[in-house]
Amino acid sequence: MSMLRRAVPAVLATAAVVALLASVRARPPAIAVSQKAPPPPQVAPEQPQRPMVSIRKATVKGRVRSANSEIFTTPFSIIEVRVTLTGKQLTRVETVELSGTGARTQAINDRAEPILREEALKAGSADIDVVTGATYTSESYKLALQSAIDRARARR
Amino acid sequence: MGIPVGIEVVDGDVDPAALDAAFAHLRRVDATFSTYRTDSEISRLDAGTLAPDDASPHVRAVLERCAALRQETGGWFDVRATGRLDPSGFVKGWALDGAGAILAEAGARSFCLHAGGDVLVRGEPAPGRPWRVGVQHPLRRDRVAAVLGARDLGVATSGAYERGPHIVDPHRGRPPEGVLSVTVVARDLGLADAYATAAFAMGLDGPAWTASLPGCHALTILADGRVLSTPGMARLRLL
Repeated sequence: MSMLRRAVPAVLATAAVVALLASVRARPPAIAVSQKAPPPPQVAPEQPQRPMVSIRKATVKGRVRSANSEIFTTPFSIIEVRVTLTGKQLTRVETVELSGTGARTQAINDRAEPILREEALKAGSADIDVVTGATYTSESYKLALQSAIDRARARR
Repeated sequence: MGIPVGIEVVDGDVDPAALDAAFAHLRRVDATFSTYRTDSEISRLDAGTLAPDDASPHVRAVLERCAALRQETGGWFDVRATGRLDPSGFVKGWALDGAGAILAEAGARSFCLHAGGDVLVRGEPAPGRPWRVGVQHPLRRDRVAAVLGARDLGVATSGAYERGPHIVDPHRGRPPEGVLSVTVVARDLGLADAYATAAFAMGLDGPAWTASLPGCHALTILADGRVLSTPGMARLRLL
C-alpha cells in the first residue's frame, strides 16, 4: 500500500502539468484558433467555470480509479484536477477552473512572450534590396529609404 | 493619394510586356478599390450608390475574403473599423499577389514587387542569395530596424509612423497604443497585409497573437524600444 500512496501524488503532479499546458493551449491568445478576440485586459470577463477534459484510450485492462487533486492556484486561476487511471495508465484528465482572474488574458500573454525573441531597437544601415514599412505615399516616398534603393538599383 | 510601386524582374528572358501587364493590373485595382476616388466601386458601395449585388466579381470576392479574415482575426481586421468601407489593409497585398502571378505566368522566376511598404519577392536576386528586405526603422527615416532574408514570401508592415495613426482598434474605435509597427511575413501577401493590420490594431496583445499564426512570422516594434520576433521571424533575420 505504501507503494500506491507514493505513486498517486506523482501522477497528480504530472496531471497538473499536463492540465496547465492544456489550459494554455485550449485558450491561447490565438484568435485564429479560438475564433474570439482577446478582450482588452481591463474589460476581460470572468471565464466561465467549465472543465477541460483530455481523454486517452486505455491500451491495457485494469482497475479504473479516479482521484481529485488538491485545489491549487496557477498564475491564471484556481483549479482542481481530476484524473482517472486505468490500470497504471493515465486515461483521463479533467481540469475544473474554480475561479479565473480578470488578468487572465494578460497572464497568458506574459506566458507566451518567452517564445518571442526580444531585443532592443537598433538603427541599422545594412545593404538591402527593398524596404517594408507602414504605407507610404508619394509625398513621403520622396524622403523614404525605398526611393534611394530604387534609384541605386536602376543605375545597375 | 498616390502609392509608389516598384517592380524588379531579375530574369533576363521575360517579355517586358509582362511588366506592362502587371502595372496595368495594379492600375485597374486602384481604379476599382481606391477609397480616394469617389467613382471607385468601393466608394460607391460605401456611399450606397452601388448595390453589393451589382459590384464586380473581383470586388465581391475581395469583400468575401475580408469577411473571412474578420472572422479569423476575431474582428481585429475589419474593413469598417473607421466607420467607412476601406479594404485597403488587404487589397494592397492582394493586388501585388495578382501582379506577381502575371509575372510568373510570363515565365519570371525571380522578382520583387513593392507598393507603399508592402513587399512580394519570388526566387532570388542572385543565385544562393535571398532578397534582403529591410524593415523600416519607425523613428529614423534613413535607417532599418531589421533585415530579413526572404525567398518566395510576402512582407507587410502596419504602423503608426506613416500617414498618421490610420489604423483603428475596431473594438475601441481609436488607434492602438504601445506599438510602433508590426511586420508580418507569409507566402500570401494579402494575408500578411491583413494580419499585420489586425496585429497592430491589437496593440500590446498583438505579439503573442502573431506567435500563434500558422505559416506566418512576425516582428513587432514596441513604443518602449523593444523588438519582438516570433521564432520563425528570428530565423529569417539577417540583422
